[in-house]
Formats: sequence, C-alpha cells, structure tokens
Amino acid sequence: MLVLVLAAAMLLLLMFTLFPTPVQWAGSLIAPDQIGGIFALVTVGVTLAVAVASIDFQKGPNNPVYYSLLAFTALGMVLLAYSQDLLMLFVSWELMSLPTYVLAGFDKKTRSNEASVKYAIIGAMSSAVILYAISLAYGLTGSTVISQVVSGFVSHPSALAGVATLLFVAGFGFKMSIVPFHMWIPDAYEGAPTTISTLLAAATKKAGFIAAIRVLLAITTIYAVTQSPFFTMANVFAVLALLTMTLGNVAALTQKSMTRLLAYSSIAQAGYILIGFVAFSNAPGSAAASLGLTGAIFHVINHAVMKGVAFLAAALVILQLKRADLKAYDGLAKRMPLTAFTLAVAFLGLAGVPPLSGFWSKLLLVLSVANGPFGWLALAAILNSAFSMGYYGWLIKRMYMDEPESAEKVKEPFLFVLVFAVMVGLIIGIGLFPQPVINFASSAANAFIR
Amino acid sequence: MSFVLSLLIALPLFATPLVYALFKVNKRLGIYGSLAISAVVLLIAGYVFWQVYATPPAPGHYLFQEKYSWVSFSYFGLDYLVGTDGLSSPLLFVSAFLTVLSIFGSRKLIDHHEAEYYSLIFLFEGAIMGVFTTLNLILFYIFWEVVLIPMFFFIGVWGGPRRKYAALKFIIFTFTGSTIMLLGFLYFYMGMPTPSFDIPTIQALLQTHQVPVALEYLPLVASFIGFAVKLPLVPFHSWLPDAHVEAPSPISVLLAGVLLKMGGYGFLRISIGLFPGASTQYAWIFLVLGLFSMFYGAVAAILQRDLKKMIAFTSINHMGFVLFGAYATLISGNLLGIQGAIFQMFTHALAVGCLFMLTGYVQHQAGTREIPLLKGLGKNMPRTAAVLLLASAAAMGLPPFSSFLAEFMVISAGISASAYTAISILVPVLTAGYFLWMIKRTVLSPAEGDHGVHDMGWSDVVGFAAYLVPLVVFIVASYVILNPALPVAEFLKGLA
Repeated sequence: MLVLVLAAAMLLLLMFTLFPTPVQWAGSLIAPDQIGGIFALVTVGVTLAVAVASIDFQKGPNNPVYYSLLAFTALGMVLLAYSQDLLMLFVSWELMSLPTYVLAGFDKKTRSNEASVKYAIIGAMSSAVILYAISLAYGLTGSTVISQVVSGFVSHPSALAGVATLLFVAGFGFKMSIVPFHMWIPDAYEGAPTTISTLLAAATKKAGFIAAIRVLLAITTIYAVTQSPFFTMANVFAVLALLTMTLGNVAALTQKSMTRLLAYSSIAQAGYILIGFVAFSNAPGSAAASLGLTGAIFHVINHAVMKGVAFLAAALVILQLKRADLKAYDGLAKRMPLTAFTLAVAFLGLAGVPPLSGFWSKLLLVLSVANGPFGWLALAAILNSAFSMGYYGWLIKRMYMDEPESAEKVKEPFLFVLVFAVMVGLIIGIGLFPQPVINFASSAANAFIR
Repeated sequence: MSFVLSLLIALPLFATPLVYALFKVNKRLGIYGSLAISAVVLLIAGYVFWQVYATPPAPGHYLFQEKYSWVSFSYFGLDYLVGTDGLSSPLLFVSAFLTVLSIFGSRKLIDHHEAEYYSLIFLFEGAIMGVFTTLNLILFYIFWEVVLIPMFFFIGVWGGPRRKYAALKFIIFTFTGSTIMLLGFLYFYMGMPTPSFDIPTIQALLQTHQVPVALEYLPLVASFIGFAVKLPLVPFHSWLPDAHVEAPSPISVLLAGVLLKMGGYGFLRISIGLFPGASTQYAWIFLVLGLFSMFYGAVAAILQRDLKKMIAFTSINHMGFVLFGAYATLISGNLLGIQGAIFQMFTHALAVGCLFMLTGYVQHQAGTREIPLLKGLGKNMPRTAAVLLLASAAAMGLPPFSSFLAEFMVISAGISASAYTAISILVPVLTAGYFLWMIKRTVLSPAEGDHGVHDMGWSDVVGFAAYLVPLVVFIVASYVILNPALPVAEFLKGLA
C-alpha cells in the first residue's frame, strides 16, 4: 500500500518539478521551486526503493510501525526540500530524523540498538546546534525567512553571524556526513537494518545537502570572525571537501565489512559534492559556480541511485547469506549473478568510470574547479577517484575472480531484482544519455542562482 | 558514406550482446559468428584505410567526419565528433585485423566462460575503434576508460596463476594515469578563450595563436602521465610484464598490438597535436625518455627466462621508438620521425602479436615457457620453430620485414635531431642480440630426449602467416601508410 502511495507521490513530484508552477508563494514557509523538487523526488524515490525491498527484508509483526515510520521520514524530507523558512526547515528536519532513530534500532539486536542510541544522541546534538544557529540568526536579522537571513548576514557581517554560519555548517554536516562530523556514520550504517542504512545514506543525507544549499551557499564571507581574508566560505568548504573525500576513501580501503565500507565510501562521495559548494562560494554568478552547483545537484541524484542500489544489494546478501563481512562476497558472481552485476555497475559508477552516470557529475564537479585558485582540489578529487578504484576494483575482483566458499546458488527474490534492474538501468541510462537529467539539474541550479 | 566510422564503432558494440546470445545457443555458432562479425569489421576498417590512402585528407583535416551534439547546457558543450586521417587509419586497420586473428587463435586456448570472453572482445574492439576515431577529448577519455574494463576481466578471469594480482595492478595503474590525463583536459578547457573539447576547433585556435603557451604546460604533463602509462614508458611500465605474463595469449596479442598503441596515438594526436608549443620546448626530455625506454626494454629483455616476459619487454623497447621518432621530428624538422613512428606502431602490432600468439602455442604444446627448458625446439617442433625464427626476424627489424623500414626511419630522424642521439642505432643491435641468443637456446640447441610434444598443425601455420605476410607486403607497399602519414607529420610539425 505504502509502495503505491509513494509511487503516486513520486509521479506528482515529477510533474511538479518538470512544470514549475508560476505562482509566487512569497512569505510562505514552503515554496515549490525546482531545486527543492529535485531533492524531494530523489528522497521519495529512494524511500520507494527501500519500501519495495523491505517487503522481503523486513518480515515481522511490527510491519505497520515500520512502514508508517518510513512514510513519516519521507514526508519530513519532502517538506525539508521545499522549506523557505528556518523554522519550517527545523520542524521538517526533526520530522525526518525522529522516525529514523527508531528505524535504526528496529532489529532489537544489541548492535542495532547501539547504532540507534549513538545515532539518536549525535542527531539530537546536531539538532541542538542547528537550533542555536537559528536563534542567533533571528537575533541578528530579526527574521527566520532564509533569504532575509542570508542577505542580512551578507550585508552586515559580524562575528556572531560568522559563528552562526559555522554552526549551520556543523549542524547540517552531521547529516551530510562531512569529516569531522562523520563518526557516527559507520557504526549506525552497520548496526541499523541494511534497508534503513540505505535510507540514511541515499535519502536523509541528501536532505542535509538541500538544507546546506539553501542556507549556506549564498553566504560567501565569514571574514568577520577572524578578520583574516583567508577565512572565506570557499576555503572552509574546500578544506572540508579535501578532508572528507580523503579520509572516506582511505578508511574504506581498510574495512572488513561491506556496510562499513559503503559507509566510508558514502562519506567520500559527500566530499565530491562539496566541491560544487567550493566553486559556488568562490565566485557566485560565474560560469564555474553554475557548473559546480549543477554538478553538485547531479551528483546528489547519481549518488542516491548508486549508493542506494549498492546498499540494497548488500542488504540482499545479508538477508540470504546472514553475513556482512567481505568474505561473503568472494565468488559472488557464481552464486548471485544479478546481485554481483548490480554491485559491479554501482561500484564502477561510484568510481566515476565512463560511460556511467557517476562519471558525468564528477566531470562537472572537477571541471568547475579545474582551472583557478582551487585547482589543487580538482587534483585531489581526481587522485581520490583513482584511489577509490583500489577498493572498488578489489571488490569486483573478489566477486568475479575469487572462488566462493560454497558453489550453491542463492535465490534472488523478484522484488529485489526489480529494484536492481530499475536502478542499474538509471545508472547506465543516465550515463549514455545524460542530457535530460543535466538539463534538469542545470535549470534548477540557474534558477537558484537567480 | 560519412557514417562509416560510426558503423565501425557501433557494430562491435552491438555485437557484444549478440555474440553472448549466440554462444548461449551453440558454441560453434558463437565462434563462427564472432569470426564473421570481426571479419565484417575488418572489411569496413580496410575500406577506411584504403580511402584514406586514395584521398588523403589535407593537413589538419579529417576524413569521414561526423558531428552531433551530445550533451550541452550553459557553459558546457560536448559533441560526438569522429574523423580519421593518416595517423589513425593504419591503427584502425591493424586493430580490426588483430581482433580477427586473436579470435581465431582463441579457439583452442580458451576453454571456460566462452560467451563472456568473446562478447568482451567485441566490447574491447568497439571501444578501441572509438579511441582511434574520436576527435573530442571527453569522448576520447570515455572510450579510453571503456577499454580498461574488458581488459581487466580478460586478465583476471582467463589469465595465469597470478592473474588477480596482475588484473588489479593493471586497472589501478591505467585508471590513475587516465584520470590525471582527464584533469589536464579539463584544466585546458576552462582556460581557453573560447572553450571547446573538439580537437579540430582547438587546432584552429592554435594555428591563429589564440591559446597561450602558458596554458599548455600542465595539460602536457597530465596527458604525458596518462599516455606514458599506456605506452608504457619506463618508469611507468611495471604493470606491463605482469599483465602480459598472466594474460591468455590471444589477449596478450590485443594488449601489445592494440592497447599499447593507444599511448603512442595519444602522444601524437594530443600531446603534440594540442600542446605543440610546450611539447617543442621540452621535446628533449621526451626524446631522452624514449631513448631510455628503448635501451631499458632491450637490456631487461636479455635478462628474462620466461619467453613471454622477454617479448613483453620487447614491447617496451619498440614503443620507445614511437616516442623517440615523434619528438625527433619536433626537434629536427625531419618528417621521417613521425612517419616512422606511425609505421612502427603498425609493424610492431603485427610482429609482436605473432610472437605472443606463438608463446601461447609453445606453452600449450610443450607445457612451459621457460627459455632454458625449451631445448630442441627445432627438432621436436620444426614448424613452430620456423615461425618463431621468422617472427623474431620481424621483431628484430630484419628486411624484408617492414619493421626494418620503420626503425630505419625513426633512427634517421633521431640522427638528424642530434649527433648524440645517434646512439639509438645500438638499440636494434641489442634487440637482435637477445633474440638470437633466445633462438640459440631454443631452436638450435640439441634436444634432450623426446617429450612426445606435438607440432602445430598446418591450419595454425596459416594463422601465423597472416601476421607475417602483411609485414612483407607493407615493406613493398609502404606508401599506403607513409603517403597519408606525410600530411599528418607536416601538420604536427607546422603547429609547433
């Protein structure tokens, strides 16, 4: 039932985003702009995939609770995507987060509960930080409307405004899985039911990004905090991006369990998305800013699909083989050929191998900083991509070239295969014909810039 | 017939699932189907090759050009742009030719997962055709990367005992090299006054001096790393002996005959063709690097006990000639260098392809590739020994094999660059030395008892003749390659 509702919601959102209504919703808490539409679409799409996969994965007496919590999260994410006001943003942020705390502990196993508690404590802290930042913003500008807060911060820079901006970075950073706010991610993703990890990695994380885009992108300078001309938002984002992608990739290489590996790889991908923020903050209104924001939005879409399907494939392996360690993946191609193929495509896409969808968005992101003061960041991103091939290629090697522990074929349920097929189709399809989605991302980015 | 290049790319790509399906129906049907499709591709490539000879495009122009917009939005435009000239048409032909031969040679050597194997060969061929025909930098990068994926599986699934290590090493080396190359392209694009990824458009800007030389340095270094890994140039070569030794022999043929040519092609088409100012300034460095590779490959080959590893180092030696010749032209203005480099790529593909295929047969029949263990090859396997002799002569550059002419042209350009680089004349001597020593130990040494080994059949002899006959033909008909190569050499020299 929920599946049908979500599918309908997705269709509706698609209509809404493709044909933006000319109505001005000035002064309201939410407004249907294109960029919000894209994020709403992505998050609902991921929730839909999770819901379909959960039909097989989550069998138990508490089903109604599980699906209704899922629906609440989806609602929270959609409202967040369209929020135009800090209070609305905060309320939907909580509406999105609270159900996921419960869902993370849904297995009632020690690990799952531990993950849930850890996630809930860190999540509550990030909410508190955001709330504090909102209170500072209201105190400084007398408004909670995002556009007014931003213009107030820019026209009257002050030390407090700088502090508020950094608090926003920290608060959103927890959800966006930016280093150094990432500590909870591997534990939570590993402990939570893997379908819920999918939701956290591919959907709620993206909600963090739309919040950051709305609030932080237009603020270019936090100069007032230290009086140092180097202390710009672009530099802050650049350092965060460098740390995030490097640490994510290096840590991913050393993992022994698939869910933890995917968690670290997900952290690394957040670093790539931040590159778009760097290009934007460095010179808003320039060609590079447009390329960067387009690339960031495009990569959000692609990453949601690629990481979502990778997590769901890991969920299927856990469901059928009852284990998550990497040994289970040796020779997987012989036992679960469709799952192995799905993972291989997702990994190649995440590594940015053309002509898959991940290549295009990474191309735009790197292009936006390739020639200019942040050229070193482009080099770092490229080297990180190459480095990530170390573990993605290694996993593909394990699945296709190593011998399995037992040669017994494992059943791959129809619903999982259906989700895999749609998402692999998206990865390859967007890779071969990126034009429609790029148009979509580019017009949203340009509308946002204006 | 302006869609002929698209056909050349699309046919193998569409054959990828088709061949898989054929194999699922029947194995014989699959092999004959693969041979037939690759023969059709060879015919088309032969037509392109002939047309480029018959009506060579003027300097800076391309034949069979096609252009469609693929991806474009504000600040970003990407075209599907293909075309060919005297640089790429011999490579297209030889790639299609080697694909047919490698499919022919795989019949007996590949005995598991045939459907996947043959369909990946076509994915590889389609991507290679794309690399050699596309004139758009991003599209070039895309095809360049797609080539890696089938090769990764070839080595890792159908390779020898250390195949997994070799496959992973191969993909990490080449992927790193090519992503750095891509970054160079992106940097160049963002810095240009009117950004474009199309090679002809950029070359038009270069001819009217609208691209500052300062912009060329970083992309030159970045593309150098990408191409040097592929060529491979010492010290970027360490993946190659591993990959070659572990890869099945028909794949070694494609690896040495086709994949390495991507590096040489890249140096000519992109390093020199797009960054001519910077290339000319630092031509000496490239020249010395090429020379060093030539010597290093030859010396390292002497030390090898494994026949296949020896031939792998021969490749490093021979591909050094390509870089050496190309940059000798930039320094001296002697067009023989670039012409010779193009010819060398063509002849090396055939000569080394033959040798690699041969090692596959030797191992299949004699059970070993260790040179000291292969005593009495002349007595026990006379036909195999004869082919080995002829192929070695081709690799050494003895007339009447056209490799002689190619090496001669490159070295004479090297001599006109400087009196010191005349030392390159010693390289063929070293090459002849280790080949002759190898032949002494295998073919000419007395047999130690009869191991009951079987010689190759006459049908296999025909297969090997297919590698060697063109080498003899093209020393007589060298103008088919050299005439269209002349405008390319003139153009590249003129840009600098």
